[in-house]
Amino acid sequence: MATNVDRRKFLTVLGVSGGGAVALSGCSTDRVQKLVPYLVQSEDQVPGVPTWYASTCTECSAGCGVHVKTREGRAIKLEGNPAHPVNRGKLCARGQAGLQGLYNPSRVKGPMLKENGAWKEITWDDAIARLAQEVGKASGRVAVLSTPARGTFSDLLDNWVGAAGGTVTRWEPLDLEPVRMASRLVYDTDAVPGHNFAEAHFILGFGDFLETWNSPTEQQIGYAESHGFNGDAARHVQVGARRDLTGLNADEFLSAAPGTEAAVALAMANVISGGGSGPFASLIGEWTPDAAERASGVSAARITAVAREFAAASPGLAVAGGIAAQGDNALALAVAVAVLNSVAGNVGRTVLPAAAVPTGDGLAGMQRLMAAMDGGQVGLLMVHDANPVYALPKSYGFAEKMAKVPFKVSTGHFLDETAEACDLLLPNHHALERWDDLRARPGVTGLMQPVMEPVFQTRHTGDVLLGVARAIGGGFAQFTAASFEEHLKQAWAGSTGGDAGWRAALAAGGAWDGAPAPSSSAAAAPPPPTPAPAFAPPAAPAEGDFTLVAFPHAFLYDGRGANRPWLLENPDPVTKITWHPWAEISLETARRLDIRRGEIIRLVSDHGSMELPAYPYTGLHDRAIAVPLGFGHTSYGTFAQDAGPTPLDLIGPPGSTPWINYAGTRVQLEKTHGFKDVATTEGNPRQLGRGIAEAMPIEYARRGLTVKESHLAAGAGHHEINTPLEVEAIAGWREEQIEARKLGDYAEVHPAWGMSIDLSRCTGCSACVTACYAENNIPTVGYDDVLRGREMSWMRIERYWEGGEDGEPLEARFVPMLCQHCENAPCEPVCPVYAAYHTVDGLNGQVYNRCVGTRYCGNNCPFKVRYFNWYKYNEKAWPEPLHMQLNPDVTVRARGVMEKCTFCIQRIRGAQHDARLEDRQLVDGEFTTACAQACPSGAIVFGNRRDPASRVSEVSHDPRGYVVLEETNVRPAVTYLAKVLHAPEAGA
Amino acid sequence: MTAVAQPRITQTHADVTRDVVATLQTPSRGYYILLFSAVGLFLVGLLTFLILIKDGLGHSGYTPPVMWSVYITTFVFWVGIGHAGTLISAILFLFRSPWRTAVYRATEAMTVFAVMTAGLFPIIHIGRQWVFYWLLPYPNQRYLWPNFKSPLIWDVFAISTYLTVSTLFLIFGLIPDVAAVRDKARGWRKFIYSQLSLGWTGSDNQWRHYSRAYLYMAALATPLVLSVHSVVSWDFAASIVPGWHGTIFAPYFVAGAIYSGIGMVLTLLIPLRKALKIEHMINEYHFDNLSKLTLLTGSILFYAYAMEYFVAWYSGNTFEQTTFFRRAFGPQWWAGWTMIICNAFVSQLLWFRKIRTNLTALFVISIFINIGMWFERYVIIVSSLSNDYVPWAWDVLNPTWADWGILAGSFGWFGMYFLLFARTFPIVAIQEIKEMIPMPRRRAGGGHH
Repeated sequence: MATNVDRRKFLTVLGVSGGGAVALSGCSTDRVQKLVPYLVQSEDQVPGVPTWYASTCTECSAGCGVHVKTREGRAIKLEGNPAHPVNRGKLCARGQAGLQGLYNPSRVKGPMLKENGAWKEITWDDAIARLAQEVGKASGRVAVLSTPARGTFSDLLDNWVGAAGGTVTRWEPLDLEPVRMASRLVYDTDAVPGHNFAEAHFILGFGDFLETWNSPTEQQIGYAESHGFNGDAARHVQVGARRDLTGLNADEFLSAAPGTEAAVALAMANVISGGGSGPFASLIGEWTPDAAERASGVSAARITAVAREFAAASPGLAVAGGIAAQGDNALALAVAVAVLNSVAGNVGRTVLPAAAVPTGDGLAGMQRLMAAMDGGQVGLLMVHDANPVYALPKSYGFAEKMAKVPFKVSTGHFLDETAEACDLLLPNHHALERWDDLRARPGVTGLMQPVMEPVFQTRHTGDVLLGVARAIGGGFAQFTAASFEEHLKQAWAGSTGGDAGWRAALAAGGAWDGAPAPSSSAAAAPPPPTPAPAFAPPAAPAEGDFTLVAFPHAFLYDGRGANRPWLLENPDPVTKITWHPWAEISLETARRLDIRRGEIIRLVSDHGSMELPAYPYTGLHDRAIAVPLGFGHTSYGTFAQDAGPTPLDLIGPPGSTPWINYAGTRVQLEKTHGFKDVATTEGNPRQLGRGIAEAMPIEYARRGLTVKESHLAAGAGHHEINTPLEVEAIAGWREEQIEARKLGDYAEVHPAWGMSIDLSRCTGCSACVTACYAENNIPTVGYDDVLRGREMSWMRIERYWEGGEDGEPLEARFVPMLCQHCENAPCEPVCPVYAAYHTVDGLNGQVYNRCVGTRYCGNNCPFKVRYFNWYKYNEKAWPEPLHMQLNPDVTVRARGVMEKCTFCIQRIRGAQHDARLEDRQLVDGEFTTACAQACPSGAIVFGNRRDPASRVSEVSHDPRGYVVLEETNVRPAVTYLAKVLHAPEAGA
Repeated sequence: MTAVAQPRITQTHADVTRDVVATLQTPSRGYYILLFSAVGLFLVGLLTFLILIKDGLGHSGYTPPVMWSVYITTFVFWVGIGHAGTLISAILFLFRSPWRTAVYRATEAMTVFAVMTAGLFPIIHIGRQWVFYWLLPYPNQRYLWPNFKSPLIWDVFAISTYLTVSTLFLIFGLIPDVAAVRDKARGWRKFIYSQLSLGWTGSDNQWRHYSRAYLYMAALATPLVLSVHSVVSWDFAASIVPGWHGTIFAPYFVAGAIYSGIGMVLTLLIPLRKALKIEHMINEYHFDNLSKLTLLTGSILFYAYAMEYFVAWYSGNTFEQTTFFRRAFGPQWWAGWTMIICNAFVSQLLWFRKIRTNLTALFVISIFINIGMWFERYVIIVSSLSNDYVPWAWDVLNPTWADWGILAGSFGWFGMYFLLFARTFPIVAIQEIKEMIPMPRRRAGGGHH
């Protein structure tokens, strides 16, 4: 896709004016008393024209580059930075919801001190003085808990703590400790290796890599490159106990008992290396396919066949991702997969130990901190960007140990569980309000700059540290910078080569060396084998026992997203559940114990128990029970609280493994008589042969067959879409249409906007859903209204099941469903007041002002993509200051009117106006819809279908192209490209 | 007149006037209890409506894709009820059915009030009730005009026309009777009845004009019986929703409307004749004939139901087939079977004369008919919308207090008017009953009624 022209222009502006944003005002709530026009118009502030700033996403540790769209001094949307090597212009749902972290109503509004158990607002001067005093009192016993994210701030923090005397612990939940350890053992590099999905011809997954693991957006971009169909496609086989989103995208899923994935990986390595010869013989020798079958339940024949395919693909890529690499046998799995990649010759090609992702101190560091707190060796604890009281299992006793620290400080944005246990709150600026940088990985550093005035009376923690240093003096004299901004610029001065270089880096969003993706050029020889850990498959659980798989929620992740309504209402990609946690049980378990969806079940472990609504799921191993992390906050703002329990409460105290054992706890299941309505957006998950999500075998796709031809080739009966009589009627209708088109404005030549969606690339990640919410001011409706099917998602991801019964393999098909902007739209003629009408450029318009709310259009829409404002969602969905995120280009709809996807008409008109002002033609790809912009897979293409050279025309004419519900003759403007099924090669 | 169907009129003219005027005397306690219950129900509905205006339609059970539910169901229900009156007063008048005379006033009143009730629902059900007038083609500076392609606009015209004509028909038919009451009334009542009787003296000249005009009005109202509910049915048939999109809909809905209308007539008349002590005027003869009409329309419905399933099967259209399968075996199967049993099967009991003349049985059957016909619309609307083209969007609607509140309010509103009418105007047509009494003075042949 062509680069966004207007954006580049704005960034140029930015490079010149540097950090002009700090000088801007107009967004803070309480300080503005009078509206006074500018005496001198600010150069980069034109009312009505957005200003873009480059920044870096801090929602997870991947370090994606973002472009922040601001209007009149407020950030209103986050999009990927197209030039950034990590995410190449794309951004996941969690990243986009960073905006709801900025404007979250539960943010701490200023410094606070706890006195007699109650929080009291104080001034920043008092707060810094108090901290300086406490640092002095702690006399060298300062402990700081921070995230593994590294950058200029973390260097400053190290030095500061060094001067104060103490330690910094870098930890975050769900870190990749086992993978890092395996990398040290097998590749001799002490870091998580980079993965090059794009160049893999065969992907072998042993855990999630599309939802949350490591750098999901980057991985998804690469995955879509290789696994999406473009003449050919990589095959993807997934091994695991639970079919997460990655598992649902796989062409074949091998269901292994929880904790035994390593056996399968080792057996595959065994097959590839010819029965276990070679450098890893001692490790893989005993793991024949038969042994692995006994341990895991995966058939030896499939293990052998897949291993051969994997070896033949060259290069393939095996990934020990997701929760499988966080359980009992996580290290064994990570080592096994590293060995598998090694024997298959992938190291240096798709597995890049050199392109390492930094990690923190792991659980070992955290345990040292806890021991120190317990032993009274910590006088002052400062928690920065972490919430261990919530994120560590209760059985670890962090809160109790923390209570022994005399003085505790938090710099968090929210009054979360950890902040609640502190004595002093020094809320940091949000990432969009502050100067900062982030070293995503070697050679890639992202910059952050304030894009608007702070929403609240927060202060940059760097400035706080410098302020404390000034107050104490003495050993802190080395900190001379007046502000963190100055400190950051000094730190960058050396590497960027002066002011011009700094400005260039700022405009670009950071600095990185040329290669846009982990390079595969540096081929590294397999390192010498090191003593590998022994792998013992977990003992089969006792009768009635299950293995708990506590997996990170696709959007809430470890719980940090739990106070963002966009993430709570975006349905989980697998179960499509919103707003509350659930417990997945296998269909077999559900049948045996007669448990239906929504029945409350009690999970009991040695360490706790909890009650959750059951969700029987075909994709789960019989021995497993899967529960999402992320809920169960007791203090994280109104949206997060009282949502339900977190499985962390079931997990026992730290064992021998230096990572949290998210998978492997033994739990018993007890029935209760309770019931909870599960707030899923799923209607009927079966297509009933209606051809909504089409798919074809890869051999037909390679031959260029159309969907219809592929059905015929597969032996399905010939099915005429319309009868001869209907065909005649349609022909007559066409004539009339042509006549009607000669009238008025419709007679002129206009574009015909259209879209194509490639289902072979779509992974169902739902980034487009959040993009749509952000761009179009879509309200979230909450649990009760989701139960009544009233979610307003203009763009929704339908997830249909195929097979999965009578021993057939389960297949998932994801269909992004949005208004199809039908040429012959059934919603238009039935509107009594012309609120639904057809624009001259082929859009299905909706005039909110004119709508009286008869809802006839909604009934008559065969795709069911019209959404009605049942309540005053516009007054409830954006509690102050969340309303600041609203896009001023899009009407906020009142109750009582119908709304729907507009193909981002504000973007179309904006681009048309720009082109008009510049007296030129609109260029294909110059702009696109919010969903297409966000889609990490590049599955969505938007453009003018009337222009034969446009990309959307080209893609829509792909043989795999089809329209949904063709028999209704509504003539959608959205063309879907059939998914491609990559079954095992014949004879494999 | 044939020998079989003879009304048994045994009174004199004076008796008729006396008996009918007696119905307008000081009401009993039972009447007040009924009236206050009706007003109470109406207030429940009013309160519900105010809450809907305040907060939005969300309180109702709407569960997309089901975007029409109880309110439209009840709308069609009341429009249907409104069909019996005009059928009986106009069509049967043209066909010279003698048995209509005793019941037509009550059914006409029922028609007007039912249509008045139905007319509220398009306003109640829309999202922004305060701009309902945008559905009307009124001249305005913004040059905004309704979309005449939309069946909802057809509906606006059909309902308003029907309300106008049936109201005129009712008022017109009342003139001689009001005059008769006027002659018996005293005080301020006499003044009001005098005004309403428009100077009626009963002269031959007046009667000649009156009979002629009544005939023309009957002729004018007759096509409306067929057209109004056909138009209402096109609200559904003109869409592409499986289960709605059927050519059978217009006759199917008209038959259903008459069926439900007569059901409601039975429900109202059986207790009313007792309460007003006019059993001798409305007797088994009338109920026997009403029952036969019920049996006819009920059998048409039976055929229509069967035909819907046949068409669904024969069309080979998978959407249609799924809809009809789920109507009978889907999550709301109970509604589907309620409709089939109450309408298609229960009406078949009326083949038996014993049942046709047993008023208790008829009353019970009429209740079944009312329930069945309400559910017919509920099934057509809610069940069809629950499962149309895209399976992912399917959902099941469960009505809430806001749905029941408005439904109850509509019965209250209707009952209130009907009860007030029954105490204010002759619920039995005095002059037409009198015409049935053989009178040597009158010309033979009954050339003018």
